[in-house]
Amino acid sequence: MCFGQEKMGGVVGRILDGETKEPLTGANIFLRSTFIGATSDASGRFRISRIPAGLYTVQATMVGYRSQSLENVEVRGGIENEIEVELMPAPIQSEQVVVTASRYEQNLKEVPVSISTVTAEAIADRVSVTLDDALRYVPGVNMMQDQVNIRGSTGYSRGVGSRVLILFDGLPYTTGDTGEITWETFPMHQIDRIEVVKGAGSALYGSSALGGVVNVITKEIPTESEVRWRLYSGMYDKPRFQQWVWSDRTRFHNGGHVSFSGNTGTVAYLGSIARSVDESYKENDVYHRWGFFTKLRFSLAPTRSIGLVANVSWRTHGNFFWWKSLAEATRPAESQRNGNVDSQRGNVSFCYKEFVSQDLFYTVKAVYYGNFWRDDSAGHMNNVSASHVFYGEGQVTHQTSEYNTITFGASANYDRVNSNIFGSHPGVGGALYFQDDLKLTPEWKFTLGFRADWQRVSALPSASQFSPKLGVVYLPAEETSLRLSLGAGFRYPSISELYTAVSTGVSSLAVVPNINLKPERSLSAEIGLSQWLTESIRLECAVFQNDFDHLIEAGVDPVNLVIQFDNVTKARIRGIEAGLTSTWFEKAVSCDLSYTYTDPVDLDRGSVLKFRPRHLLYASVGADAGALHFSVDARYVSRVEAIDDNLVRLAPIINGDQRVPIRVVDTRVKYDLLDAGLPLRVGLNVTNLLNYHYVELIGNLSPVRTFTLVVEGVF
Amino acid sequence: MLKPIAFVGLLFCFLACDGGLQPDLPIQPGFGGTIRFAQNSWPPIDSLVNLWVFASQIYPLDSTSVFAGLFAQPPQIFLYPSDEARVALNVDSAVFFFPLPPSTYKYVGILQHFNATLDIRSFRVVGFYFDPKDSSQPLSVVVKDGQQVAGVNMNVDFRNPPPQPF
Repeated sequence: MCFGQEKMGGVVGRILDGETKEPLTGANIFLRSTFIGATSDASGRFRISRIPAGLYTVQATMVGYRSQSLENVEVRGGIENEIEVELMPAPIQSEQVVVTASRYEQNLKEVPVSISTVTAEAIADRVSVTLDDALRYVPGVNMMQDQVNIRGSTGYSRGVGSRVLILFDGLPYTTGDTGEITWETFPMHQIDRIEVVKGAGSALYGSSALGGVVNVITKEIPTESEVRWRLYSGMYDKPRFQQWVWSDRTRFHNGGHVSFSGNTGTVAYLGSIARSVDESYKENDVYHRWGFFTKLRFSLAPTRSIGLVANVSWRTHGNFFWWKSLAEATRPAESQRNGNVDSQRGNVSFCYKEFVSQDLFYTVKAVYYGNFWRDDSAGHMNNVSASHVFYGEGQVTHQTSEYNTITFGASANYDRVNSNIFGSHPGVGGALYFQDDLKLTPEWKFTLGFRADWQRVSALPSASQFSPKLGVVYLPAEETSLRLSLGAGFRYPSISELYTAVSTGVSSLAVVPNINLKPERSLSAEIGLSQWLTESIRLECAVFQNDFDHLIEAGVDPVNLVIQFDNVTKARIRGIEAGLTSTWFEKAVSCDLSYTYTDPVDLDRGSVLKFRPRHLLYASVGADAGALHFSVDARYVSRVEAIDDNLVRLAPIINGDQRVPIRVVDTRVKYDLLDAGLPLRVGLNVTNLLNYHYVELIGNLSPVRTFTLVVEGVF
Repeated sequence: MLKPIAFVGLLFCFLACDGGLQPDLPIQPGFGGTIRFAQNSWPPIDSLVNLWVFASQIYPLDSTSVFAGLFAQPPQIFLYPSDEARVALNVDSAVFFFPLPPSTYKYVGILQHFNATLDIRSFRVVGFYFDPKDSSQPLSVVVKDGQQVAGVNMNVDFRNPPPQPF
């Protein structure tokens, strides 16, 4: 890389399949060690403009092809250099690139932990309105309504104190008061992919990464100006049983978004607005939401850029907490009939990136996440909470040689909570982390890392944690990857777990504080195999064990009739996970199948851990026939064996013990009108096709059969 | 590969044909509501041996009929949550659902057991469900088979208990 300073030039050209000479659509092409790049269009053409004169290495990549580098490509001022790149199909489909495992881009097969990804296309196909919907078919992930549970890490907490760390473009995104994930606030239409790391990840990410990490990565701003829009409208079918029909009219859910983007050369911008209204199939479960998302990227130089993101949402949601009884499963308990929750949440983030040299890269990031909600479920009083989270970090990634990459950084956070039920409390913390990825030979790769965290909440004694990690990857052949990982995890109790004091609400039980809570800890071990059985069939296997200590649970004291969070349980979860992904008939048909078995044992009580299913089985089949695409998803989640009987009895949740295995089939068809000259795509989704009735969360009937029509376009 | 996927798909369809959860449990009859406790009125814990919601098919009551009604077979006076369990203490309000056999409950209220003895003088009514037109008179709650009566809300002020029925 050698930059001239005075004049700007460009690189244009085509990217072709090296064997068939057909143009490749969606291939990425970029100038190595810079932030300059583009994506090929439907005719395989690309254009990269406003490049300072100089010599560059141009790299082209695409899934299913070997990447190709052209060195010493000269860019001269005022001239567009035309090149043609041919990508040769990989005998084994090349792997995805992921960033979450090590905080920098890596080939998936060189990562020592289990990672699953959800693509933007899968999110769009399933009309996932909120992020939790998009995770329902990820191997090893079990959604309990809006709680995410990776390989059995999470029980019943109604979202409080998530044991899965959620990241938004690599930055923490849990609320300052309850430590929960606000699924509805993610701009679904702007997500490029979701990476799900399974197992403890605190050695890089700190608190909350006990059971895993979910990183939501937003799309790059398009290089050309465009407007994208999408509208959807759907209706809920009637339940199978007349006594569950609570409304005399059809219930609808509607929404849409529009986004516009442009690029002036040095500034790329994107703005979008989204609206969704869901009347729900349950009484007092309606919600209205507005969302605004803005992303700006300032290209200060080919090697330096600044990114700014703002994301704000407003929501009003009926507070259906649990049903009245199984006989009236679509009606809320009497105390929840009129309550609702109003929330306003928003985050603003800043990211500065710079390539100091070809081998040295650093980032500085900062984010503010504000969260305000008011709950009038108690009818005669409001519960109110406002939390503010300020977080900043700096990270350096240095490829010291062809065989060694080190990553290190530091982070700091300041939180503030003001609430009538949690009190007013500040929190402050800091961390240092380091990781070394060492390729001893082309076959063997080792990862060593650690993170030291320090945290203090309000006037409580400070706490510190040391989280090490070890990873080994063995690549005996191009089609085989063996991996081993050991990692530690921890989670500081959230302010709500420490300080909640509620003497009234939707339940008959009061909640009392416990400031003596200790952090939860976990230790994860995993051995995994990734094996291409043929050029189009890949097998993924993993055997894992996760040990948890000091698990915090909201327990009911049957004597004093109060709920209190306490470090009550030591648990061990062992399991296996296997998955097959395949494509057939020149990728016209795709099939995915995954199975996860977990054995969740409560070591203190010598019994099965509450609220964890043992078996997860997910299957998906998709088929393309020209402009027509058809797909079917099916999921099976075994019946949860143990629940908290005291909670059911004393809350009270009438018939709260009623549950069945989950057997759901979703299907969809979409038609692309691009060939007919219209920049449109229409689709029809039917979720819960068989209108199967089940609960993910006790006392909450899951959605009945739902029909959704989607129309989207770009111009 | 396609065959296993097709098999799994068909298996799902087959397994899901049972429909899942069914509302075949009979609706448990009873009544429910919210008890609201006056602020700062809670007595010391040693005078809260027990605290129940009671539902009596008998009204008016006297000291003899209270124990007779409690221990009759079938009972004529019922306690919630149970003989041994009590309503939450030191809260602003408590939501409850009281499962009961179908009947007319002429007197519904909150009963405080404030002394460890089982003498009738150790009990007092601290709130009851009253007729909005005449707050001195209890309002009957009619529980029918397969029905749950909602909105049986009561206020409790330990410092100002209502007139005692016995």
